[in-house]
Amino acid sequence: MANDRGRGPLLTALCVCLALAAAIGVVVLSATGPTPNLTALAVLGLLCVFAANTSVVLPNESALSASFMLAIASIVVFRDEAQLLGPLAIGMAAGIYLPHVTEREWRKLLFNIGSLGLSAVAAAAVYSIVPSNVVESVGGQLAAAIPAALTYSLVNFVCLVCALSLAEDRRVRDVADELWLGDLQIYPFALIGVLLGRLYVDLGAWVVPLFVAPVLIARQAFASYLALRSAQRGILETLIHALEAKDHYTAGHAERVARYARLIGVELGFKTRRLERLHQAALMHDVGKLVVPNHLLKKPGKLTPEEFDHVRRHEPVSLELIRRIDFLLPIAPTIEAEFADAADGEHAAPIEGRIIAVCDAYDAMTSTRAYRRALPQEVAFAELRDKAGGQFDAECVETLIRVLEDLGEQHGAGHEADVTEFDVPPPSAGIGSAGLGDLESDDREVPTP
Amino acid sequence: MTRTQRLLAVIAAGALAAGTAALVGNGGTIVDLVLLSAALVATELFELRPIDRAPLSLSFAVVMVLVRAATPMQFVIIVVFGYLVAAGLRESPKRLGQRSLLYLERVAEAAVALGAYRLILESEDRHTTRLVLGALAGAAVAQIVASDVFTAIRERRVASWRARGADLALATSGILMAVGYEGIHGQGRFGLWGPLLFSIPLVAAWYSFELVASTRRGFRQTIGALGAAAELGGLVRSGHSERVADLASEMGIDLGMSTSELHDLETAALLHHFGALCLDDPVDGETFDPVEVAALSATMLRTSDALAPAGDIVAAEHSWHRPPGDDPSAGAGLAGQVLKVASAFDELTDGRDEHADWAVEALYTGPGYVYDGRVLAALERVLAAREVRATPL
Repeated sequence: MANDRGRGPLLTALCVCLALAAAIGVVVLSATGPTPNLTALAVLGLLCVFAANTSVVLPNESALSASFMLAIASIVVFRDEAQLLGPLAIGMAAGIYLPHVTEREWRKLLFNIGSLGLSAVAAAAVYSIVPSNVVESVGGQLAAAIPAALTYSLVNFVCLVCALSLAEDRRVRDVADELWLGDLQIYPFALIGVLLGRLYVDLGAWVVPLFVAPVLIARQAFASYLALRSAQRGILETLIHALEAKDHYTAGHAERVARYARLIGVELGFKTRRLERLHQAALMHDVGKLVVPNHLLKKPGKLTPEEFDHVRRHEPVSLELIRRIDFLLPIAPTIEAEFADAADGEHAAPIEGRIIAVCDAYDAMTSTRAYRRALPQEVAFAELRDKAGGQFDAECVETLIRVLEDLGEQHGAGHEADVTEFDVPPPSAGIGSAGLGDLESDDREVPTP
Repeated sequence: MTRTQRLLAVIAAGALAAGTAALVGNGGTIVDLVLLSAALVATELFELRPIDRAPLSLSFAVVMVLVRAATPMQFVIIVVFGYLVAAGLRESPKRLGQRSLLYLERVAEAAVALGAYRLILESEDRHTTRLVLGALAGAAVAQIVASDVFTAIRERRVASWRARGADLALATSGILMAVGYEGIHGQGRFGLWGPLLFSIPLVAAWYSFELVASTRRGFRQTIGALGAAAELGGLVRSGHSERVADLASEMGIDLGMSTSELHDLETAALLHHFGALCLDDPVDGETFDPVEVAALSATMLRTSDALAPAGDIVAAEHSWHRPPGDDPSAGAGLAGQVLKVASAFDELTDGRDEHADWAVEALYTGPGYVYDGRVLAALERVLAAREVRATPL
């Protein structure tokens, strides 16, 4: 909202106009036409307000479905008496979101009341054109609901696009492209709305609680899922803080590995939940480091063989911890193979583990560690390609390189995001591994940044 | 068996059951009965799994439709056949005995539902809307009560009223699906559209419960693993965190804590030594300062909003002197006391029951301001219930 002041008055005008249009509609329709059944108006209206105020915001931030469904139901309920006024009032009720009132967000309140009311009345108008003999049967009613539902979402879409392009000062076309067809999942709710409306007409208001109960339970369960998910994210944050507290050279490492892994996952066509698991697994891949004593993690330069042995004792612990967590199981075989130095090119392990191994190595090479400075990106790419097919999975390596090149991202020497202050400056040589320091001598010349 | 084979089996079973059922009466049409039988088999493979309640089969809702759609004879045939096929298709339980038992339970539950429905419906001559609804509600309740009885016999526990959200969703959806199919006096009759569309909220509830269950499992495993890290690293005795979490949870239940408080208490108990992993190693011969460990654990948990309540509990565990005005009888104060007592008890007994008497004595003889009397009493009751110690006087 950078240009809020410039476009602000226009936005306010739009919100006021929408609400005013809806209000004028109410006045004109109630003066000229029949009054709707007050019981139905009260039941559906209150339900609409309730639905609007108890909605759980879904991950894609849509919370339209309940009020949409009730608007369609009202179109069916009021078809025979106040076919426009009833749906208009119900639609307006759905716009009453109490936090907008308490936080004095008048523009949002007016916009929602106006746009939802007009969407509902437009849908009702389309539905009223359908001949009566068509809507006698359930099939006809369901079929007639489809153009009505499309009209509802079209009007709503147009209002939303105008408001967003004014509020965010973006071109109408860009906003439209972003929102277009974004709410396909709401259409089944139109069909339920039809049945609910018809049951209401046929059998009376008692159907409403029967219908609302499972919807509310589903919402409540969904809300507790969201709470648990944030707790799960919280625990991963805590873990990352702990690892960074132990070894501040790895600040940001887990997040970067998780991000690279996600990029590869998207490229390989992973679905949302699998991506989420991959992300979590990547965040946790270093969990075993928790049990490595701090002074060894922070030691500048190379470890003595005794120290290295001590560090390696964390490996079975890592595996033990990872095996306790179902969503980390896909990475367990890869970590096991890494520890056993059994990089024999046989990839029986799930791809998640191989993705994380590549990302881990890439980030380790392109960031500064206690034992050496960051390497240039080209060296890291060359090293990954060199070991592709052996230590690393060739497909994952190529996907990562391709994605990073497409994004034009630069990491490594000269491009580090978190430059760490060190007590003892690390040496500028050595490819190192993704692990905890390198014992092997480096036979490769590395350009000094 | 692949998914396609499974699907084909469900459809074939539905056709077979319905075909047989259609021969013995003229309730619903053959097509409807085929689809409803297939739906019975398919839904039996899915369960609503709320957190603090035994799972509920989604097929209960289809039984409700069948109660209304089929004649009693058709109903019996479809249920007996359908559940038999479902029993063959399910993945768990593996053992034949358990599977057969579950099958018999399902058939019995359906029979009870039919009985309740018929009993209420035939109590009056005029089938008013209210009577039909009452009969359907009776069928839903009877079915759930029957399944509760079986669960109570098998697991010796009954779900509390607070955990009955899933029951409500299942019962109301089932009634609506049944009404939507057949209507009442020909009003509101949608055929198969009714059960199909009115099942959507139930399916949404099922999916949400699945998300909750899998996320909760992942969360519990994550904190369990992080709690175990300190033990595997040799900083804490093995099994300490899990034992303290179990004991603290039982004490919390005894003290009437809410579900979310218990959840935070469990998290705090599993992670109360987590800070030890981040401290620099103590100089040889010394151990970690427990206050410092707890403070660091609390600080780390408090960095995340969702875990901050657990962090408060860990912090309260080691507030040796209560700050003036702090009410230790509620919230983090009480939970902190529970954690402190549970942790001290486990350190004294080292997980061995035979030391319990001695440990409780030691906790009581500690200075009064360190351990809360009510919390110690809760510990004694929990130990008595575990039959580790004699019932307190």
